[in-house]
Amino acid sequence: MRLLVAALTALVLAVPALADNLHPSQRQMEAELVCPTCHEPLDESSSPIAQRIKDYIRKRIAEGATENQIKDELVAQLGPRVLGVPSTHGFDLLAWVIPLGGMGLGFLAVGAGAWAWSRNRSTDEAVLDPGASSLGTHVEKRLDDELARFDG
Amino acid sequence: MHRVAQAAAVAVVIALLGVLVWKVVNGNGGKIAHQVDNGQIVIAPPFVRSRLDTTGRLGLASLRGKVVVLNFWATWCIPCKQEARTLEAVANEWKSKGVVFVGINEESLTGDAKAFLAKYGVTYPQVKDDGSLEGHYGVIGYPETFFVNRKGMVVPPHIAAPATRQQLDAGIRGAIAS
Repeated sequence: MRLLVAALTALVLAVPALADNLHPSQRQMEAELVCPTCHEPLDESSSPIAQRIKDYIRKRIAEGATENQIKDELVAQLGPRVLGVPSTHGFDLLAWVIPLGGMGLGFLAVGAGAWAWSRNRSTDEAVLDPGASSLGTHVEKRLDDELARFDG
Repeated sequence: MHRVAQAAAVAVVIALLGVLVWKVVNGNGGKIAHQVDNGQIVIAPPFVRSRLDTTGRLGLASLRGKVVVLNFWATWCIPCKQEARTLEAVANEWKSKGVVFVGINEESLTGDAKAFLAKYGVTYPQVKDDGSLEGHYGVIGYPETFFVNRKGMVVPPHIAAPATRQQLDAGIRGAIAS
């Protein structure tokens, strides 16, 4: 049952994304792509190459091209910077490594913190546990003797 | 524990600053153009790029032994239009003397670039770059022209404006003599 619900949810979420890819809008494409000259989103740029890219997108949408097709064609002509993402080599690689590394370190810190906290907590609980006496055998024996005498 | 975390955060910030300083000091961006402008002779960064004017690819290494004139251009660049016919004329004049002109097209749609070549009658080899090569050469605008001698070294001058016939002839003679 759970599997069926999960599958249906995934389908509901996937259908709009698929529709966007199959029938992209001019506005959406211009918001997602970047002018290679001024490095601003296409919809905010009025540079000559941005205008030409907008014309190209309009033409390709009219011809029925999908979002991925248009993006692939623009990357082939203008390079990956039109996508507005840093390259995966050289100095730009740091733009990927640092956030991912930071997230990894963050997860490790949270995990270590949770582990340390749970250890402290179990120690505290052990102290409060009446079954786990920390009085020592000498004091316990004295207490037992006192209680026996009181009962007797 | 708190102090260790603080120290780690400070160390990370210092490391990132160090990387930034290293990049500024040692990065390739602008270095070749800058060095050539200072009269230095530097190794030409090798490249292999897809041809714009025909099929296949062209690598700088395949032109070793010839003087190569590299011209970075874009379709929307007005000075590139001004120099296009001059480049073609000078390329044809030097063709038989072991000099090859190579156009490196940047930031242009392929259809527009081909239309540009047809309109201005440009016939020398053209490649398409994705922006990485201009970074290696330190190109900051279009057009820019570099001269590579027969040994694969970039030699002065570096023309960061529409090239004139006199500038091109002088650059080629300098590359041949170096």
